[in-house]
This record gives sequence, structure tokens and C-alpha cells, in this order.
Amino acid sequence: MTPILPAVKITGIGSVTPYGPLAGLIPPSKLEPSVITAWKTTGLRRAFLVKPFRPADVVPGLKTRRLDRLSAWALVASSLAIKDAGIDLRQVDRSRVAVIFATSFGCVELTAAFYQSAAANGWSGTDPSTFPETLANSPASHVALFHGLRGPNITVSTKDFAGESALLQTASLLRHGQADLAIVLAGDTLTRAVYEWYEVADLLSPACYNSDPLPEDCGFVPSEGVTALLLEPVGRRQVGTEARSYACLRRGHWAAGRQPVETIRGMLGGAVPSLTICAGNGGPCAASPITTVAHEIAGHHAAIVPPQPVAAGLTDTGALLHLVLALSNRPTNGLALLLGTSLGSSIGTSGNGGFAAVLLELP
Amino acid sequence: MTDIRKTIVVTSVGVVSPYGIGSDCLQAGMLEGKCCLAVTNDLYPGFKGTTAQIHELPLLAGGLGPRYSRTDRLAVIAAQDAVADFASERSAFRESGVVMASTVGGLTEIDPAIADDPAAWYRHGGLARAASYPAARVADAVGEHLGLRGPRCAVSVACASGAMAIALAANLLLDEAASMIFAGGSDALCPFTLSGFNSLQALDPSSCRPFDRNRKGLNLGEGSAVFVLETLAGAVARNAKVLAVLRGWAMTNDAFHSTAPQEQGIGLAECMRLAMEMAEAGPDEIGYVNAHGTGTPLNDIAEARAYETAFRTRSHPIPVSSTKSYFGHCLGAAGALEAAVTIAAVRSGALFPTLRLTDPIESPGVDLLRGEVRRQPLPLAMSVSAGFGGSNTALIFGSVRS
Repeated sequence: MTPILPAVKITGIGSVTPYGPLAGLIPPSKLEPSVITAWKTTGLRRAFLVKPFRPADVVPGLKTRRLDRLSAWALVASSLAIKDAGIDLRQVDRSRVAVIFATSFGCVELTAAFYQSAAANGWSGTDPSTFPETLANSPASHVALFHGLRGPNITVSTKDFAGESALLQTASLLRHGQADLAIVLAGDTLTRAVYEWYEVADLLSPACYNSDPLPEDCGFVPSEGVTALLLEPVGRRQVGTEARSYACLRRGHWAAGRQPVETIRGMLGGAVPSLTICAGNGGPCAASPITTVAHEIAGHHAAIVPPQPVAAGLTDTGALLHLVLALSNRPTNGLALLLGTSLGSSIGTSGNGGFAAVLLELP
Repeated sequence: MTDIRKTIVVTSVGVVSPYGIGSDCLQAGMLEGKCCLAVTNDLYPGFKGTTAQIHELPLLAGGLGPRYSRTDRLAVIAAQDAVADFASERSAFRESGVVMASTVGGLTEIDPAIADDPAAWYRHGGLARAASYPAARVADAVGEHLGLRGPRCAVSVACASGAMAIALAANLLLDEAASMIFAGGSDALCPFTLSGFNSLQALDPSSCRPFDRNRKGLNLGEGSAVFVLETLAGAVARNAKVLAVLRGWAMTNDAFHSTAPQEQGIGLAECMRLAMEMAEAGPDEIGYVNAHGTGTPLNDIAEARAYETAFRTRSHPIPVSSTKSYFGHCLGAAGALEAAVTIAAVRSGALFPTLRLTDPIESPGVDLLRGEVRRQPLPLAMSVSAGFGGSNTALIFGSVRS
């Protein structure tokens, strides 16, 4: 089945990623992994890390003390997306603005802190101020609280395709009139417990252990950050004040266990994307099987954007960053397919051909 | 004229609760007025409190590996119960989607030792246990176990999660993203959440008393409920028995405080209004509300005010009860279990009273049910959930005739 999405467009982008906190597109630049210094490591360990910054320097008045970094980044990224869209929330019915947040690990930093307090003081001596901030929906609720957004506030996760499924469900909310505007966010933070999990599971790229150029055929380099997109239905604003559109969502689908090529071709209904953006979540890069799937769908001469390491390192939640990076490279207009498959995921376990596909029209 | 392609119906409800497996078991226990809350002191050293535990989890056919947390196991048991009637036609649900909620998830499998040296913890057996930690896991557990190939999504919106999973599943059905969706919630008791709520002084050491002037807090419970949702057209096509119609659903946020509800219940009242609007039902048509009703001082006051606002135009007070007084607050599963109770009420016409409600709070326009089970025809009933972070969800179920 191929749901037809409403005419929904992306009018704002905000991100807090290893490229820094940015509104709008991300200026293309070569990014190398950073050396991990936040915890003691046995030898060199690298990852794509968000450089520390003061959120209040980016969003005046923002208070993030006691928050998980994931919540702080969600606040900054959402503020930047709203600013980028040129929206004055004072002029908007904020009971009609939704927040949808996709995460794989949630507020893992403060979850670790809560475990540390239990290890130190016993379960009877844990910190009450930390507990509510460990909840996975804390980032989305802080976004609602800071901006006064009283529409649906949803935190979701989907293995391999959290970003894509959040994007499609956001469009669904708008389509069904359950919101007039929506901010969709996706991201995760990297902590010692997450990094060492990947390491013990032998999932990491050799590039995590030396400063050689990134290899393209094995493992991945973990990453962190939050990407936010502001979505609104086409025609929401008054004639003459129509907002700039980065892309328009046409339709999409995701599934856990179907053959991607056949199903996505059915979804496209004969349309041929001029660009396919591969969201190789947790997967290696150009050699990923996802690019093979992309060629099968779009043809061997089609433009394919291979998974970008900095976004692939976000595992389940990298799709929005993949999309923004692809848009930042000034693609030509036409149809673009944001494609994710579990085939290229080195941390995938299902092995059952799951996929996500979002068809976008580029202006 | 009803568009049967846009009408969402419930064709099966799977439940595991402290009453046992099955919604019949849940309903029978509640009709008896049986309370599952009991004093316990074995959930972590130093803890003594009141919880609703499931003491014996049944073994599942084929077993489940270490990658399944207790939360996952509860979800799988409920999902298996939901498909009990499908035994001879499993192909009917193979292409189905899954939307499952949890707030505890795999925290049940992780212990504080991970904090000191994660790598060592993983190497000493933690790696398999940590596999259940990612938020998406509970949806995968159900999907993998039933061999479902449709879209999967996990929801984590604190105590509104279970109800929100049902709302999101309904949206996906309207989008034709799948022809059938397994939706619900699951959560297990674990030291992390018990300790957290204990640190917030939110737990009543004895059995909770929602909407009572002498309420002191909540009791945690565990369980899971999984619904089979599909369009009426789909249900008719496969000649399925329709248990209830999901007439309306809505989600809002208070945008007020991280843990406290907005004092006047404005966000929750708006949520109920939107759900009634979708259901094309006026306040007088709702016969019963299964409340969030945690028993905490702040929640119950705000919630009662929300009912006052949402049902202000009614000719008679709105009957409301909190069934957390029977089996505790099951967090991410609460909204799904309470939706199962609401459907049971719609189908049987039995309105379950709040247990231990002897001195109700003042709440004009709200008929806080207590004492005996009330019997009345119930064409439409509402289940309401709210959670930390200000999220609210309202679901309206109708009888098939409605």
C-alpha cells in the first residue's frame, strides 16, 4: 500500500551536530572524527562529536542546566529550525503545533548518571532531580515547554528508520488535521556506555582507533547530534507570504520485513527519482548494500548520494541529517528519494529486508 | 454515512496483567472487586512499598532469548493472547504493523554495575541484555515474535504512551500504511523506576486512593495490553468479530512543567474536546471516563478540573473512575490496559468504581464512581491518559451499535 502524503513542505532546518549548531543548510566541509576525551579510554578512540557550546549563546535565554545534552540539543535545534522558517510563534496558534522526536537511546547521559547514583548510594539514594530527565520524551517535552507548543507531543523510535518513520508520522498528523505546524527532530547522544557497547559488539570502524582516512567497507564511526525540521502544509501561510521550501514530502512508506525494491517501485508508481539519498544508518559508506538497492530502484545511471559517515554514525536516527546534508549540496530540482534499508546496517539484526522510503520533491 | 475504510475498529485485545492472561480474566477480577496491589519488599534492597506484580510469567512456546527484556516478554505474551483467535489464519496478520509503547523498556535488564565500567559489564553477559535497551525494541519484540512485516514503531511518552500508541496506530491505518496494526503498551516493574518515583516521593506506601482527599501517591504495576486495530472494511472483509469502534482520539501537551500537570487541566480538557470532536459526540453522549487517576495530590485535582471543563455542558455529572486502584500504574502500558478496561465496560455495561474511594475530592460535575459496580448501557466511553512532560491522550471507544 502506498499512502499519499499531504502536500507538506520542509520550511525550516536546525541542527546541532558535529558541524556545530546551525540554522538552515550545512555548509559542505570535510569532517574527520574527533578524539574522545570525555571519558578515559585505553588508547586512541574517535567519534563524530558535537563540540561543547553554551546553548544560551545560540538561543538567548535558554536554560539547560540539569538537562541531558539530548534535551539541550533538541531545544537549540528546534529554535534554529523555527528561526530558519521565519516563523514568529507569537503569531501562531501554539495549540496546533506538534513536536515529534525520534531517538534510539533517549536521554542516555542522565540515565547513566542515575545508575551511577544508584551504584554509589543504593537504589534508595538516587537523585530525584535526575529521574524525570531520564525519560525518553524529555527532549520533546522541553521543546514544547520552551516554545509553549500545546499540540501533540510524541517520542518515537524505529529500529534503523527512526528518522524516516518520525518524518512520515509527522506528515500524517498534518494530513489528518491534528496539527497545523510540526517540528520533527531526530537524534541521540554518544556516551561511554553506548560507545563501549558498539566496541564490545565489534561494530566499530578501524577509523575509531587510528587517524587514517575513513575506510568504506567495514564498521562505522559513532556520531551524535539532533536535527530538526519544521514542516507545514502547503498553503498554510497567506498568499504572498508563502515560505521558502527546502523540499516537499510526497509519499512514503516503511516496513520491517518486505523486499524494498519491489515495494518501493510500487510506491513510486512509475515516477523515477532524479536523486536517491541513502540513509545508511549504522552502516558503512559507499560500499553499503543500500547503494545497490538504490541503483536497482533508480537505475544505474541515477544520481546516488551514498550514506554520509557523520549521519550513518547516528544509527537509527541519522535520516534527517542525511537529508539535510544532501540538500546542502544544492541538488537539482526534481524528485528525490530518501532511502533507508536495514541491509546496510551493521547493527541491524533483523536481516529481513526492512526499509524506509520517503519521496520528496525538490523545488 | 459511515465510511468503513475510515472507521477504525478493535478486533482483538490481548492482555497480561496481575489478574493473569486475557481481557476476560482482567474483567472478571475487576468485577469481583479484586485488588492486585500488595506490599512487597523484594524489588530492591531497602524498598518496602505497594505494587501490583505479575508473579509468574508463563513460558512462551519456542522460548525467548536473553535479548528479550521482561517488558518485551510481557508485550509478547499480550500479543500472543491477541492472536489466539487467529490460530488457523496467521497469514491474515503477516503484513501487519506494530506500534508498541513502553517507558521502562530494557531498563529491567540493566544494573548499576554498568555505570563503573560499561565494557566489563557488557563482556560479562551484559551485551545480550543491553540489546533490549533501545527504545524501538518492544515493537521489534512483538514484530519478530509474530513475524510481522509491516511498519514498526515504538512510542515513549511517559505515562501517556500506551494510549498514544493506539492513536498513532489509528493514524497509520487511515494512511493505509498497513491493513492491520498491533498496538498497545508494555512495562515491567524494575528498580530504576521504583527508585525514581520513590525519590520523587510520589509513591503511596499503602494501596493508592485515587480521587480521595486522603490520597498519598501512586503504586506501580506491570503488564501489557495489545490491540488488533484495523479498518471496519478490513474486519468485514475477513469476517472478523468487532469488539469496539475507536470513534475518536486526540493528543495534546500542557507545555507547563516537566513533571506537574497544569493546575486547571487545560491541556487535558482540550484533548478530550478534540477527541469528542473527532468522534462527533457531545459531552452528554460519553457515558463513562476511565481516568488517568494516579492518586498523586497534583494529578487528581488537575484531572478533576479537566473533567469539569470538558463536560461542563452535560446535563448530568460525568461518571469517572480510576482503575489504577485495582492493578496500579503500569506506566507505558497504563493507557493500553485502561483502554482494554474501557472496552470491557462498553461491551458489558459495567462501570468499575474506584477502589478505596471513601472521601472524594470536591469536583462539581464529576460523578466519581465508588462502591458497587454500576450497570448501564454504554454506547460511548473515553479513556484518558497523561504523563510526565505534559503529554495527554484521549481515546473514545464505542459499542459496535454506536
